[in-house]
Amino acid sequence: MPDMDGEGLLVSMRGINKTFPGVQALINVDFDLRYGEIHALMGGNGAGKSTLIKVLTGVEHPDGGHITLMGKEVHVRSPKHAQALGISTVYQEINLCPNLTVAENILIGREPMRFGSIDWKKLNAQARETLVRVLGMEIDVTKVLGSYSVAIQQMVAIVRALEIEGAKVLILDEPTSSLSIRETEQLFEVMRKLKSEGVGIIFITHFIDQVYQISDRVTIIRNGLLVGTYATAALPRMELITKMIGKTITVLDEMSKAKAQSAARIGKEPVLEARDFGQPGQVEPLDLEVFAGEVLGLAGLVGSGRTETAALLFGLETPESGSLTVEGKPVNRFSPQESIKRGLALSPEDRKAAGIVDELTVRENIILALQAGQGWFRYLNLPKQYEIAEKYMRLLDISTPSADQLVKNLSGGNQQKVILARWLATNPRVLILDEPTRGIDVGAKAEIQKLVLALAEEGKACVFISSELEEVMRTSHRIAVMSNRRKVAEFGADVDEQTVMQAMAGE
Amino acid sequence: MRKEISAFLSTNRRFIPLAVTILLAIVAYTAGAIFYPGMRDTQVFMNIFRNNAYLMISAVGMTFVILTGGIDLSVSGVIALTTVSTAALIRAGWNPWLVFPLMLLMGMALGAVMGSFVAFLKVQPFIATLAGMWFARGMCFFISDDAIAISHPVYTLLGQTKLLIPGLAELAWAQGRQAPYISIPAAVSLLLVAVAIYIAHFTRFGRTIYAVGGNEKSAVLMGLPVNATKVLVYTFSGFCSGLAGIALSIFVLSGHGLYVTGFEMDAIASVVMGGTLLSGGVGYLFGTPFGVLIFGITQTLIQFNGTLSSWWTKIVIGLLTLMFIGVQSILASRKGRRAHALTRKERARRWVYIGAAAALLVAVVALSLAAGSGRLASVASTQETGRCTLQEYRQDQVPALVENGAVIVYERNGGPNCVDELYAIYPDGRITGDNGETQNEKQLTTEDVNLLMSNIVDHGFFTDELYDTWHTPCGQCYGYYLTVVGAEQQKTVKGVDGGTDAPAVYWQIISLVKGAVPRFAAAQ
Amino acid sequence: MMAKPKSSFSMRKITESKLFFPFLTLAIILVIDLIAIPNFFSIQVRDGNLYGSVIDIMRNASTVMLLALGMTLVIATGGVDLSVGAVMAIAASVAAIMMNPVIVGLELPPDLMKFINDPQFTYSPLWEVIVVTLIVATICGLWNGILVAYIRIQPMVATLILMIAGRGIAQLITNGVRIQIFYQPYAFIGQGWIVLPFSLYIVAFVFLITWVLTRRTAIGLFIESVGTNFRSSMYSGINERRVKLLAYSFCGFCAGIAGLVASSNIKTSDAFNIGAGLELDAILAVVIGGTLMSGGRFSLLASLFGALVIQAITTSMYAFGVPAFALQAIKGVFVIFIILLYSEQVRALIRKISAPKGA
Repeated sequence: MPDMDGEGLLVSMRGINKTFPGVQALINVDFDLRYGEIHALMGGNGAGKSTLIKVLTGVEHPDGGHITLMGKEVHVRSPKHAQALGISTVYQEINLCPNLTVAENILIGREPMRFGSIDWKKLNAQARETLVRVLGMEIDVTKVLGSYSVAIQQMVAIVRALEIEGAKVLILDEPTSSLSIRETEQLFEVMRKLKSEGVGIIFITHFIDQVYQISDRVTIIRNGLLVGTYATAALPRMELITKMIGKTITVLDEMSKAKAQSAARIGKEPVLEARDFGQPGQVEPLDLEVFAGEVLGLAGLVGSGRTETAALLFGLETPESGSLTVEGKPVNRFSPQESIKRGLALSPEDRKAAGIVDELTVRENIILALQAGQGWFRYLNLPKQYEIAEKYMRLLDISTPSADQLVKNLSGGNQQKVILARWLATNPRVLILDEPTRGIDVGAKAEIQKLVLALAEEGKACVFISSELEEVMRTSHRIAVMSNRRKVAEFGADVDEQTVMQAMAGE
Repeated sequence: MRKEISAFLSTNRRFIPLAVTILLAIVAYTAGAIFYPGMRDTQVFMNIFRNNAYLMISAVGMTFVILTGGIDLSVSGVIALTTVSTAALIRAGWNPWLVFPLMLLMGMALGAVMGSFVAFLKVQPFIATLAGMWFARGMCFFISDDAIAISHPVYTLLGQTKLLIPGLAELAWAQGRQAPYISIPAAVSLLLVAVAIYIAHFTRFGRTIYAVGGNEKSAVLMGLPVNATKVLVYTFSGFCSGLAGIALSIFVLSGHGLYVTGFEMDAIASVVMGGTLLSGGVGYLFGTPFGVLIFGITQTLIQFNGTLSSWWTKIVIGLLTLMFIGVQSILASRKGRRAHALTRKERARRWVYIGAAAALLVAVVALSLAAGSGRLASVASTQETGRCTLQEYRQDQVPALVENGAVIVYERNGGPNCVDELYAIYPDGRITGDNGETQNEKQLTTEDVNLLMSNIVDHGFFTDELYDTWHTPCGQCYGYYLTVVGAEQQKTVKGVDGGTDAPAVYWQIISLVKGAVPRFAAAQ
Repeated sequence: MMAKPKSSFSMRKITESKLFFPFLTLAIILVIDLIAIPNFFSIQVRDGNLYGSVIDIMRNASTVMLLALGMTLVIATGGVDLSVGAVMAIAASVAAIMMNPVIVGLELPPDLMKFINDPQFTYSPLWEVIVVTLIVATICGLWNGILVAYIRIQPMVATLILMIAGRGIAQLITNGVRIQIFYQPYAFIGQGWIVLPFSLYIVAFVFLITWVLTRRTAIGLFIESVGTNFRSSMYSGINERRVKLLAYSFCGFCAGIAGLVASSNIKTSDAFNIGAGLELDAILAVVIGGTLMSGGRFSLLASLFGALVIQAITTSMYAFGVPAFALQAIKGVFVIFIILLYSEQVRALIRKISAPKGA
């Protein structure tokens, strides 16, 4: 057993530098991992934590600095080399092959061989035994991985990482983002077990609760610089957040005032009204209404049906039951085009994959939906395009050198504002915002939240979806809670966090 | 009941395309056997393997490439290059046993280069391999712009040895019939399939191929040797192309740069019909032979029908491929785990689209058929000046030559050098040649001619196995026309090279005659 | 690279323009020709028309330029159309059989044979021939578009189907016969001359149509948006399927025009040879023009330059005495070279090599 007293270090990274064209991603960063430790790595998006992990796993090569693994200096050449050294990673997106069986996914690359060929019997038996031993989970390992839920795929990924010979360092990159509470608890149990066996775990997450629940120490990175490494128990939450964002949050108080003011102007007639509206397997039939000038928060865990509800309301999918009326008019045809005509707008959950068009300029991104509504031949001329783009750049305070900047060069927060601008340009009556603050720094988050309230004050109806309950509660006039693909409760603004959480948990 | 069926289907979904393929092959052959009694002969079935040995070989290589999510469009070029190089080297006096490994090495080298472009430089597979095809085809003409015949004892051995099938042979003998057999290349192709199945399912390399096709990024992160696997897969495909080229050269006993144009499509179609998904990662090597079988059965059906042109094979295969791809795309979307899951309505709509598309295609085909049915077979207006085209057989001169006692009249025309040569072989061994400008002569012995005649007759010249395969002139192809008088019969068969729709024996006979006649000095 | 002085900013802007590379390549080739081949740039005037190697390059490039215009739009949507060569053959067959339906033998005037070699005889009027041919070609493109946009088959595979079946269909139309075209006015399409070759006016006209269609309407923006990120485009209310359908149909339309030009050039319908291998030329032209195979931003003018680069190389090779068949092999190498030049890996390598010098 390696020494457990904290003296010997499992991993030691010293003075790591990494520069990408135009960005200095890591500046002289130090990082330590002890034997038998769960070490949380925190920082805003783009802070440099994923770059640090990539350096450790050989995906990127540092421009400077040293990495010491179990007392020996190493140069990690590739992910394969990292594995050979005993550094294993479970990434945010499940990095397994959905077309292979569970057993293969666990053991590929080190399948048991017999007379030079793969011994399938032994392979399956070994995989089954491993799953039971590590997770206490018994599933059919001969089925293809793709036929299982994301949570199980994640578990398989972790098992694979552990099964690698002599794995001493386990990196979990946002492993809990798609797990239920029960599954998360199950994962934590596994992590504690591994910790007791001397494995060092680097745990990356956005959930602050989980940091306090599981980690021993926490390292915070901001703008490529190391802020510091602290014992988790000794670091108050507020201080942790402050260290992450680098400034104290004062805007938050203004928010509640703004909300109180705008609450008075909420309309009487619902702009959007769904009755018995749903699609089996995606969203169980639900009733939902949003009034002009109101922010309706949609709270719920990942996978609770929030995003599916948003997609259904916006017409990305066709509902199989119920009715939807927008401003009193029933909706018969469901498609994004139809929805936009009716004055709906959706800012999707996945900003990169479904929001921005990164090769286009800020101007083109802003006018995109407006132009799409106008059709092919009623083309907005260039001066008009600039006029619109610049108007919204000013209005939303989008920081970009010019309207002709490619949107991919903007920061996450500004990209989100560009998407908002795209929809505001179409002058929508209902804004559906699915995780508009995901992956952007706390400062930008507050700005977006303020913006949402300001829009409501102008008379727009907003549906606000977020994983962060605190944010939903702060921004919304009314909160609908989703759990297990159905709407379970609805509260006014004065509800307390505990009640909503209970509803979310399905109690 | 319905629920049980759908449950069964959903658990075994990955086997559906494979099952459809096997079922289709059985149904197609059964239908053929009902309509055309000739197809009931076991040998006709065996001939599918013999005639498509090279297709089977390259389809195996193609399956691996497609499983990694790539595609190899270079196969036809590499095959053609192999036939030309083989023929040229054997003509230069090399031993075929030395040439074969060399050809395999050449195929592997070409494959490795293309694979490296794909793996390391991230060139799109279809671009890299299309460029590879151009390169290989161009190189063919550096070696020879004419077809080179191969005559070597090894080739006779490899091409004409009949491998009897234990069990079937005894059965046939007991019934007093000729025993069904397969050729050596066909046996090699089937052996290759067996080896490929082993590689795909029982080696790490094979499983890595599936992993790469399933999710390349994951495969990299799982520490698998992705780039090496890709290079190896293209190298293996190059090896298969080399082997297929050798098989083809044995089959047609010659080498030419215009052989098997568009053949990569046949290979891809066979793989797709064998149940392998073009997006990679899903499919079974076991299905590929059945894909090839469907291809061969289609060809056989069209040949037995007799009235349909050879290009109908292409259209039918195109339709079948489309059908398979369509069904696969629906099956894939049913998983519903994609970024934009399809609702039931959308799936239904997609079936409608596919149905409409298929109906449209059928309508177009039917229309062209209807339009074509009343056509005059006149080709009077196709004579062209300036460009080299295939000439009509010089029919008018044939009766006179036969009247003079010629037993074989052979004409070859077209090609890149615009030749038009007419030869007559007489029983006394005299051979006369006429290329329109000059004449030449050659003297053989009577025995030589008798041997030639008996060879031609033994190859089944006067049976139904030989039929016209003359199709539309293709660019710089050669047309071969042969009239034989013997055994109190006279028969003319004509075909064009560059297509491989003619039966193998036809090319064997042609190369026999070609070897006998005197050559004209090169026109250049 | 990053430490470069500010004055080089405008220079960088020029070198990053999509037009820069094809233009530079063309210039290099022409300069080599100028040095190595005497009289390469000499232009003769006959009957008020211009003739010469440079004119030849442009005339011979006209089919690829036409294809490249359509192909640019398809590639910009993130797709590819391998069937353009086959569609050209179909177009040629349709046109030929409408003017010279001798082999059909249905309801023809009994004295048809008398007319058939008459350069003024055509069974259908020329405008009808052109309209019907272009409609058929557009339907071919529409077919590809339906497969790609509505049935969601990978573009390469979907168009591969027509690439195989297309030549079979072209042969079916003419019953496998190569039809001679005697009608003189038709020959003017590919062989006519009004100071410059008539086919160049066709290219200019189609370019103008395409430019207006993409840059004076929202279609260009939508194509670029769909090619960059089709989900975002869909969520923004762009009918992504219709955009693709339009791109493929237009590509078929362009291939139809190219088929008319090609068949008028050789005065025959030749299902095997018309457009053979041109799909790769067209793709290459677009790639040289700087449009990424993955879709997104495109430049029509740069694609035209790309087509000219290919033809300039071909013509120069002929002038240097490289035999026609060897050209294919050389072209294959050239394709790889060009693609590599544009690949991220090689660019990164060049950056790496040039970086120490700049520092």
